[in-house]
Amino acid sequence: MTIIQTQELCKRYGTAMRVKELNLQVPEGSIYGFLGPNGAGKSTTLKMLLGLVRSTSGEIQLFGKQMGPRTRVEILRQVGSLIESPSYYGHLTGEENLRIVQTMRGAPAEQIDEVLQIVRLQDQKNKLAAHYSLGMKQRLGLAAALLGFPRLLILDEPTNGLDPAGIQEMRELIRSLPQRFGMTVVVSSHLLSEIDQMADTVGIIREGELVFQDTLAALHGRSRPHLALRTTDNAVARSLLEKQGLGCTEEEGHLILPLLPDHQVAALNCALAGQQLGILRLEERKKSLEDIFLELTGKAASL
Amino acid sequence: MKNLKLEFFKCRRRGVLPVCLGLLAAQFVWMGVFLAREESPAPDGWKLLLYNLPLVDAILLPLTAAVLASRSGETEHKGSALKLLETMATPGQLYAAKFFWGALVLAGVLLVRSAAFMLLGFELGYGQPPFLRWAAFTLLSWVVSLVLYALQQGLSLRFANQAPALIAGLSGSFLGLLSLLFPLGVQRCLPWGYYGLMLLVRMEWDPVTRATSFFWREPEALDLGLLCLWGGLFLLAGRALFVKKEV
Repeated sequence: MTIIQTQELCKRYGTAMRVKELNLQVPEGSIYGFLGPNGAGKSTTLKMLLGLVRSTSGEIQLFGKQMGPRTRVEILRQVGSLIESPSYYGHLTGEENLRIVQTMRGAPAEQIDEVLQIVRLQDQKNKLAAHYSLGMKQRLGLAAALLGFPRLLILDEPTNGLDPAGIQEMRELIRSLPQRFGMTVVVSSHLLSEIDQMADTVGIIREGELVFQDTLAALHGRSRPHLALRTTDNAVARSLLEKQGLGCTEEEGHLILPLLPDHQVAALNCALAGQQLGILRLEERKKSLEDIFLELTGKAASL
Repeated sequence: MKNLKLEFFKCRRRGVLPVCLGLLAAQFVWMGVFLAREESPAPDGWKLLLYNLPLVDAILLPLTAAVLASRSGETEHKGSALKLLETMATPGQLYAAKFFWGALVLAGVLLVRSAAFMLLGFELGYGQPPFLRWAAFTLLSWVVSLVLYALQQGLSLRFANQAPALIAGLSGSFLGLLSLLFPLGVQRCLPWGYYGLMLLVRMEWDPVTRATSFFWREPEALDLGLLCLWGGLFLLAGRALFVKKEV
């Protein structure tokens, strides 16, 4: 089942189109990594999913139900969220902060201790939230999102501001949620490595447009090794290869071929030499995930 | 009801009680100094009290309404709480809960104020308090304060920086007092001036005998209508701005 589905979702601010015809599809039970450079439109999209920002056009369906002003709060009963910085009342303790969310969600009071334990804040629950470190506030935000154990969790850059140990801890926690509580998690990040370690489905957004959406395995599939060949006459070499049933593409002066067994490469060499074609380069290449991200977004892997 | 209860819960440690006690203390000091200069017991004591208290209200209550609305609104801005709250309740529900919270706090403080001043008047020998007049006075003070609270809540929730809202409250307090000297038409255009327009006592000063007399009066229906209009306008405009705002 698709738990989130958007159709041609757009958001315009003045003349700037921040999100363009977005068609998100988040499968139930997945960890959907929403990846994109800063300012690509991730937070705007997630806010639109939660109804915090009104879409200019397009439709949103959560759990197969159409999101609208009248249905929004009812649908969101099954959604926990942590958008940008964590929301909290600094003059209240961690536990009091959670009491507010628990009351509004109508969740059982015992869940407060349960979620505090999950995010390992039980020893700090009586401390004022204003005195929490950023990492603790982030964990408090996650605890609030977990209250009621919703079917869907939307987390916007949840590791922002955390130290390496905190990042690792948060990552492991997020990874465990689908198995432990049957949740679907949408997690946004501008860090490819982070999504690579957490998600099983990936959506990549660039300047408001969804440029990739598939499983993480499919993204990795794009990084399969291949051969790059450069000859004295690539056009002649290409027609020769095609005659032999070897499809290829040309990229930056190289013919790109699938990875071939050694005997086939040797035969190819002989065939090219037979046509008086000089082989200038023949190399095995493998695109890294960063290269693919760079290709898709036009930006470096971590911005 | 759930959201309203939470408003009280959220205002823990926000200094709401000291604000209310501060208002009561300021009114007592003010009126205490004033009454100490009067004959004891003052003739027309109750009228004297009900004539002067609204004037003190015109200075202190706009400021109190501004501070209360700011204490309540600022809690949401400080920790970006609206991003979370608006996934669990509609902005309209949140706005209404905040307004009712302010209405109840103001009602509480004004009821205590009236009871305390009635007790004071009784102790000063003014005789049996005119309960109906006091009830009307408390209600009218509350309604005018509520109109101003609606304006202040709109400002406090619209702007994360509370300076514009507090400046509006401070200016209102000044205008409220000043408006008592303005012609009726101008006074009606200033919502802070309605404490004066809702007076239940009028004063006459005879230049020949140099004697001051007090008479009971009733607020004009037009002023009551205009007050409700101001309230409706502030409430609807503030709510519309809040609901429209994307968080």
